[in-house]
Amino acid sequence: MQCLRIATLALGLICSSAASFSFAQNISAKIQVCGACHGPDGNSKIVGTPSLAGQPKTFLENQMVMIREGMRDIPAMKGQLDGLSDTAIISIAKFYTASQAISQAGPRDNALFEKGQVISKEALCGTCHLPNYVGRDQMPRIAAQREDYLLYSMRQFRSNQATGRDTIMAASLYGMSDDDLKAIAHYLSQLQ
Amino acid sequence: MKQRLLSVATLSTLALSLMILQGCATAPTPKAEAAKAPVAAAPAPAPAPAPAWKQGMGPDMASSKLAPMPGKMTVTAASEIPIDKLKLPPGFKIEVWATGMPGARAMARGDDGRIYIGTRAIGRVYEVTDNGKERTNRVVVDKLVQPAGVAFNNGSLYVMAINKVLRYDGIEKNPSVAPVDLTAKFNLPSEQHHNWKYIAFGPDGKLYVPFGAPCNICELPTPEYAQIRRYNPDGSGMEVLATGVRNSVGFDWHPTTKQLWFTNHGRDWMGDDKPNDTLHRMQKTGLNYGFPYCHAGNLPDDVVKKANPCSGVEQPVTLMGPHTAVMGMKFYTGNMFPAEYKNAALVARKGSWNRTQKTGYDVVMVKASPDGKNAKITPFITGFMNPADQSFWGRPAYLLQMPDGSMLVSDEQLGAIYRVTYNKRQVAAK
Repeated sequence: MQCLRIATLALGLICSSAASFSFAQNISAKIQVCGACHGPDGNSKIVGTPSLAGQPKTFLENQMVMIREGMRDIPAMKGQLDGLSDTAIISIAKFYTASQAISQAGPRDNALFEKGQVISKEALCGTCHLPNYVGRDQMPRIAAQREDYLLYSMRQFRSNQATGRDTIMAASLYGMSDDDLKAIAHYLSQLQ
Repeated sequence: MKQRLLSVATLSTLALSLMILQGCATAPTPKAEAAKAPVAAAPAPAPAPAPAWKQGMGPDMASSKLAPMPGKMTVTAASEIPIDKLKLPPGFKIEVWATGMPGARAMARGDDGRIYIGTRAIGRVYEVTDNGKERTNRVVVDKLVQPAGVAFNNGSLYVMAINKVLRYDGIEKNPSVAPVDLTAKFNLPSEQHHNWKYIAFGPDGKLYVPFGAPCNICELPTPEYAQIRRYNPDGSGMEVLATGVRNSVGFDWHPTTKQLWFTNHGRDWMGDDKPNDTLHRMQKTGLNYGFPYCHAGNLPDDVVKKANPCSGVEQPVTLMGPHTAVMGMKFYTGNMFPAEYKNAALVARKGSWNRTQKTGYDVVMVKASPDGKNAKITPFITGFMNPADQSFWGRPAYLLQMPDGSMLVSDEQLGAIYRVTYNKRQVAAK
């Protein structure tokens, strides 16, 4: 939450002098605010905060719109995107989609990695997220995402708590054990 | 996504679908439960079940990369819409009438001429006001769960989301009127998948509401799905009119017979060319349209089987193409278009995702006799999709005839509404 406080403070400073900023400067200031938690290049080093680098542009746009509209409710993001224009959202999405995803994973557990590899294949994750799991269009990159975030997110989907997000994923994970999800998260987080 | 399209099936549905996929005689035990089960009773771990929209996907399609098309949730400026790419028959013209409404789907026209527009993922209902020169829009309500259904009746706007029914009395005169919540009266079922709505008032003054099957292909978890029903405007007097309707999201009443005609989406993952989406006619109530055992009136399902699956199943007026996603339809009753359009149905086909080569992405004219015989389909608006490189930029979804006989067409992809007009002199000019 410390990062949130910093981000909110920074946002306040930016807003107070917004009139003098050009659109491009506004976007770059906004991206600095995002970077406080998500990493300056979109590769998050903070537990619980997802990496945005290398995510498909449409996916980023859709999520920002859903968060702004209040359809997707994330306590740490509350208010962060209020009033942000669609044009600004598209610019921010462009920045992160162009940034290279870099795995933040720790040491590999070979057994867990292999288990995750098998389950991901059996569960047909690659149909939508593509066989190398880099995502496309409205479907996120899951390769090189943070392990803790992947696990958190899949648990949310599985228990139907992923409010405002695509409910397809809930059905995709139904019936999977926590051990399965841990293996998938470990495997995907190790990929580039 | 969205198209986010597809929503969740709950435990019961998935359990059933699992049963179907595995051909089990008893209910399967999901993995999570299997892990906790006592050793003596522990069954072999079940494979991860397919998501609702992938149920029935055969092993031959397991390596497929087909997935729902991405929707666009941001505003598209008129200058960014390649309207020049659209092709219509001679004498017709199409223009951008309104834009800036991401996710725009079904339209309903108020008594004073305001247009109300439903959406799915973005959760909004829009209102468009036309001052004669330009159109402006505002959001009437937001944060609803797929408020796709909009209808106007006796001065009131009706909004139907998957889990909510709201009525805005006198909204055209009083823009900030608080809605009356009718949800409890409608007894909406719990499953979300395929339960976003198209709604409309019939010539009988009743509100017609479809309830889609909560899966791609499955035995229904409870009987309240795959139906078309009608209600009194206050939600009382519910009647089930049709069963076996997989997912209808468009209908209209024939101008002379007053019978309901409706579009219906066929299932996915049965191959590129089957089954077809369909156009149906409700010649009487109580008919069965086949789901889940029989598709398009004559094609037995390959997963959910029973003896004589197509026996007694009502036949479609016409096949509408495999996976084309038939959406809104309107019988043309205006005087602006040429005589051959009178009483013909215009049908929007949003376009396929579950097919190697894209199909649909157009509006077609269906001419048939009033009893549904001799249906013939001809293109009306094409150019949203480029067959050569398989790219698309728009997805026509719904139609609304204006008092002057022009036709509005909503584009769900770009959140825009186009207006189609006809002028004989435009034919001569060409």
